[in-house]
Amino acid sequence: MSSKDVLKECKNINKEYNYFNTIASDAKEGSGKLKSYYISVKDCICVKDMETTSGSEILKGYKPIFNATIIDKIIKEGGSIIGKTTQDEFGFGSFNVNTKNIPKNPFDKTRTCGGSSGGAAGITQKASFKHIAIAESTGGSIACPASFCGIIGFTPTYGLVSRYGLLDYANSLDKIGIMAKNINDIELMFNIIKGHDKKDSTSLNLELNKDTKIKKIGVIKETLNVDPEIKDLILSKLDNYELVSLPSVEKYSLATYYILAMAEASTNLAKYCGMRYGMHEELKGNFNEYFSKVRSNFFGKEAKRRIILGTFTRMAGYRNAYYLKAAKVRTLIINEYKKAFKKYDLLVSPTMPIIAPKFSEIDKLTPLENYMMDIMTVGPNLAGLPHISLNVGFKDKMPVGIMFIADHLNDNKLIEVGKKWEM
Amino acid sequence: MGDVKIGLEVHAELDTETKLFCPCHTHGSDAPNTLTCPICLGMPGSKPVLNKKVVEYALRLCLATECKIAPEIIFSRKTYFYPDMSKNYQITQYEIPIGSEGVIKLENKDVKLKRIHIEEDPAALTHPSGMQTSTYVLVDYNRSGRPLLEIVTEPVLESPEEARDFMKKLITILNYLDIFDQNECIIKADANISIKEKKFTRVEIKNITGFKEIERALKYEIERQKKEKVIQETRAWDSDNGVTHSLRAKESEDDYGYILDSDLVPIEISQDYIKKIKAELPELAHEKIQRYTENLKIDPMDAQVISSDYQLAKMFEKVSENVSPILAARWVRRELSRVLNYAKKTLEEVKITDKEMSDLLMLLEQGKITQQTAQRIIEKLVEKQFDVNNYVKENNLMIVSNAKELEDICRKILKQNEKIVNDYKSGNEKAFMALVGQVMRETKGKGNPKIINDALKKLI
Repeated sequence: MSSKDVLKECKNINKEYNYFNTIASDAKEGSGKLKSYYISVKDCICVKDMETTSGSEILKGYKPIFNATIIDKIIKEGGSIIGKTTQDEFGFGSFNVNTKNIPKNPFDKTRTCGGSSGGAAGITQKASFKHIAIAESTGGSIACPASFCGIIGFTPTYGLVSRYGLLDYANSLDKIGIMAKNINDIELMFNIIKGHDKKDSTSLNLELNKDTKIKKIGVIKETLNVDPEIKDLILSKLDNYELVSLPSVEKYSLATYYILAMAEASTNLAKYCGMRYGMHEELKGNFNEYFSKVRSNFFGKEAKRRIILGTFTRMAGYRNAYYLKAAKVRTLIINEYKKAFKKYDLLVSPTMPIIAPKFSEIDKLTPLENYMMDIMTVGPNLAGLPHISLNVGFKDKMPVGIMFIADHLNDNKLIEVGKKWEM
Repeated sequence: MGDVKIGLEVHAELDTETKLFCPCHTHGSDAPNTLTCPICLGMPGSKPVLNKKVVEYALRLCLATECKIAPEIIFSRKTYFYPDMSKNYQITQYEIPIGSEGVIKLENKDVKLKRIHIEEDPAALTHPSGMQTSTYVLVDYNRSGRPLLEIVTEPVLESPEEARDFMKKLITILNYLDIFDQNECIIKADANISIKEKKFTRVEIKNITGFKEIERALKYEIERQKKEKVIQETRAWDSDNGVTHSLRAKESEDDYGYILDSDLVPIEISQDYIKKIKAELPELAHEKIQRYTENLKIDPMDAQVISSDYQLAKMFEKVSENVSPILAARWVRRELSRVLNYAKKTLEEVKITDKEMSDLLMLLEQGKITQQTAQRIIEKLVEKQFDVNNYVKENNLMIVSNAKELEDICRKILKQNEKIVNDYKSGNEKAFMALVGQVMRETKGKGNPKIINDALKKLI
């Protein structure tokens, strides 16, 4: 398929499904390990001279002057960047409805793709050409849409892939990851984009564990309290497993995640004020009035909610009770996982407690019910653990995902599981 | 406890090649917004990487001021919206400063330091038609991200003079540690000041530049507080008009919503690293005094004065490579200081370097010019730079040691001053010095004093 045809297909799909915020004007084929691969990039990752908005109106028209480190690596290996995929504004959401350009599920257009990397998952399922998607997860934004769209979503250990050039949601949680239809493409891309980057201080300079043998699997007991059909699908595909209980993860991870993520997000979003890039307003009044006007007009509802909540949790008087306490609980949660990994090579749970909901159902959810949907995915994200969502079957003709979680730096065990899964 | 309580928060810019979190140069271009990159401009997706040199420099100051040193470096985000902030948060140290509980010793007082921490400088704002009247501001991000050390004292200073001495001492230490460039780096202070008469109601004065200004600003503020009703507030120092004016009332502490900056991982400060920095620490003022007096046999007062000024000390050490340290010390301390005081200038403001000073003192030490000639040349050197050896040659200032020539002059003077000669003969020793003076004047200060002495005694 020529690159012209590929871009044409993207445009056609986009008309119907809204998977792209931007489609490249041309896609040159290079040479290297990614030769003849077409790569879509989540809109929160900087591609030089290509509009990058992170799904937000406030960044409309913003074209970065530099490439994210991983984009340089992809181009060097001959990958062609075809465009920027739709997402919840700054990654704030599980159904990709918190943005203007809402992607529709490839199996049923009345349903969500999941979020926040909704466009990435949708195009991965729909593309007829050789395609890999670069996505990003803060609290489950790769696993969730992968599950809802029936593809593979892989989120590496925190720090393995450079975040330089990623628009921050929550710096201590953000991880760039990969979506594809087959595990070999995941592995190919992972080997290209991982590695130490001196431009990102949190980038790890450590080797991956070479031992990929999987001897023991633990199914997280608390996560089986879902739709029985989903539970049965998950357990029917596993032949040897034990049940393992992670009570702190179950009890605290959701609250801990949202406090930390919002606190960090509220500082990350401070820079968007209509002064240096993105949307502007008429210069009127003092700087406070001006900044407020720009931010009121161009941030979406969920972004505003998270800025307000996040600012609240770090204010004097509340900081100890919320922000600092959450930071401590995070350590507790990591320790609980670490303990489990002494016994098990992999932990397993459903990726999502439900199948992709209809947009009409999502409209009825309160913000809290919305946040509850991340109950399975926030744990590994909070702990910086690598995880992969694989398709385990269908319910009501909609895909269901199973999630495998590995210990830090054991990412290759997840690739191994993916390979076995395909056999 | 005195009647005045002053605490200082000093911001000193460190003399590093590059900025705190990006590879941009700190100096080298005056054109606005030319020393910038996505990081110091706060562009989306850019990430900070710590400049290790800043840690080294900060540790030098912490060690020189006997601070407790934190086991690791962590950074926080201090969030507030202001047009000079590229990210609307400043990366600073909040939870654990790199240094705490230090001390700077003044002559009569040990000034306790609460903390020393590292932070980034915001951009510079210019108000094209004045701070109060300009309808817009221009932002120059060249300054954005330059490394600062914030040095916070306990409120133990008791007078504007003491605050000045503290600032002066701090600048000397920064200079000694070779982490501060007086010509390039900015040093600013915010001062908390309160007086007993007004029940120590705290007023904060922002943005006072340099140690002379601090004394002026605080003197003004004490007088103002005595005369006016004092409320807890933040005021700004207006150096041009010599007044402070209110910025805002301060009912409560500002809330900056500090959180850890998780873009920057904690960095351990090992004992080995501290040891290494300590071993490489340049010689400090009190060590210099000891070495000068014990090894170089310099007069203790000279040693004290020279080492209290880093520039003088540097000058002295260079000059004493060429001439006897005792001569060098005497001339740096007394003659050079004298002419600087007279011209009301500091050593950095004048052209004289160790080369001119060495040339001059070598001529003096070798007996090629007289003391008087040397004094006159040093006065000229403060005004403009020239080659001392050429100057002496061109102006014919070499010492006159021709006995015959000097004898003739002596004869002439004796003849013109019979009264003084008689005074001397009747036992007035001072009269002889007057005669020597007359002869010196006649030789324009160039006469060899010893030959003149001998000739006069012989002739009388």
